[in-house]
Amino acid sequence: MTLKKFLKTVTFIEIIKGMVLTFKTMFTHAVTRQYPKEKRPSVPGFRGLHGLARDAQTGEARCVGCGLCAAVCPSKCIHIYTADSLDHKKIVERYEIEVLRCVYCALCVEACPYSAVVLTEQFEYSNYSRDAFYMTKDKLLANWDKYMGEEKDREYFRRFWHPTADDFGTPENQAVFKGGKSAG
Amino acid sequence: MPGVVDTLLYVAIILAKILIVFGAVMLHVAYAPYFERKTIGHMQVRLGPMNVGPHGLLQPLADFIKLFFKEDIIPSQADKPVFFVAPVISLVGALSSLAVIPFFDGPNGVVANINVGLLFVLAMSSLGSYGIIMAGWASNSKYSFLGGLRSAAQVISYEISMGLSLVGVMMLAGSLNLTDIVRAQEHYPFGMFLLPQVIACFVYTLSVIAETNRAPFDLPEAESELVAGYFVEYSGMRFGLFFVAEYTGMIIMASIGIVCFLGGWHGPFTIPYVPFAWFFLKLYVLIFVYYWVRATLPRYRYDHLMNLGWKVLIPLALFNIVLTGILKVTKVLP
Repeated sequence: MTLKKFLKTVTFIEIIKGMVLTFKTMFTHAVTRQYPKEKRPSVPGFRGLHGLARDAQTGEARCVGCGLCAAVCPSKCIHIYTADSLDHKKIVERYEIEVLRCVYCALCVEACPYSAVVLTEQFEYSNYSRDAFYMTKDKLLANWDKYMGEEKDREYFRRFWHPTADDFGTPENQAVFKGGKSAG
Repeated sequence: MPGVVDTLLYVAIILAKILIVFGAVMLHVAYAPYFERKTIGHMQVRLGPMNVGPHGLLQPLADFIKLFFKEDIIPSQADKPVFFVAPVISLVGALSSLAVIPFFDGPNGVVANINVGLLFVLAMSSLGSYGIIMAGWASNSKYSFLGGLRSAAQVISYEISMGLSLVGVMMLAGSLNLTDIVRAQEHYPFGMFLLPQVIACFVYTLSVIAETNRAPFDLPEAESELVAGYFVEYSGMRFGLFFVAEYTGMIIMASIGIVCFLGGWHGPFTIPYVPFAWFFLKLYVLIFVYYWVRATLPRYRYDHLMNLGWKVLIPLALFNIVLTGILKVTKVLP
């Protein structure tokens, strides 16, 4: 036993084993991705840059300015300013997100009853100035146009968020006033 | 008058030889880190440098330009004359050894065919460690000072075993002249001293890794403890000089290994017109082994390092001397 141990130490058998391993590894394919040249497609449902959904009919933002997203936001980075229009309708004057303060929890996305605020799958938005990360309403709408769009928006939301907007109607099994017309 | 012309011609030839050897070695030193990064990269399932030129081939040039134009920072509390002279000593110690290494047979294969070649190399390699100690002292920083002290202890310990391991070679060759040592190996198996001096070769290989401060014996520059060791405070071209000295040292030590144990310019067959082909081929293999070991093994602990040097390698080298002596006296070896 001691002779075996002695031989093991003298012949450096363990070190040689390790060196054989590294030599073999040298001829395996490297796992490196050459990032700017070969980009990894982002995982579906990735929580990236913010966007504000555009309504297909009106061409305006789907947002109604209810403020639920701002209320639920843990880092308080959403600022909404609403106003009365001339015909006494509520309009969203400004909808702004401080992207640098956002923690990407997506609670705003879950809270929104109109599926208006989204996190797109875009992850490459580094910039040299801080101003570029202060997202105004126009920038957010442009983000949605560029990175999300109608088709992807539908697929994305149904698959990953089960948005509140889906449940916004009256449920079929809801109790109703007796004698009234039954729902559904 | 012919005497003057002859002298001038002689000087010109010497200068030309120096320039060629210096140029060739600088080219190798420039590409050694690239080769190292590529080798270690692939061993760690990475790619290594890829962006400067095709497959990162221009990386050494980019590194050189960067080092050359970087700001030269000198610590305000540094011992300035020593601080300036330390990298130069390191580099001179490494480069002057190149003069005695025979790259191929004949008088043209070596710059200076002196009779104490092996001793000269040993002396110069110890001189290099003065540069390291002085750098550690002059920087006036605890990290570089610790690195310098470690280097001093390590180089002194391993120099003994390295010198002792080469004694067997000297006994077999009967000379300190490196060209004679290579010629003496012609009658041995494979044209090498490898088999009759296998213990010495083993001791030499380990000692050399410690002597050149390479992983797994790179305690003088242990990144995890000492930031970068003795050259923490150096920047720009002064750092570059240390870098060149380290890689030149590796090439020197590998060359001495080739000359003393691996048969120098001899190969299984002669390659026409390129007399130094085998020498450089062996050099590349040995340099690759340096990188291979670095990619495989973690750094030794300090007391383990000293244990290995004093309690294993030096007794082994002494035993090898006795064994070689006995074999020589009993005429087993010619």
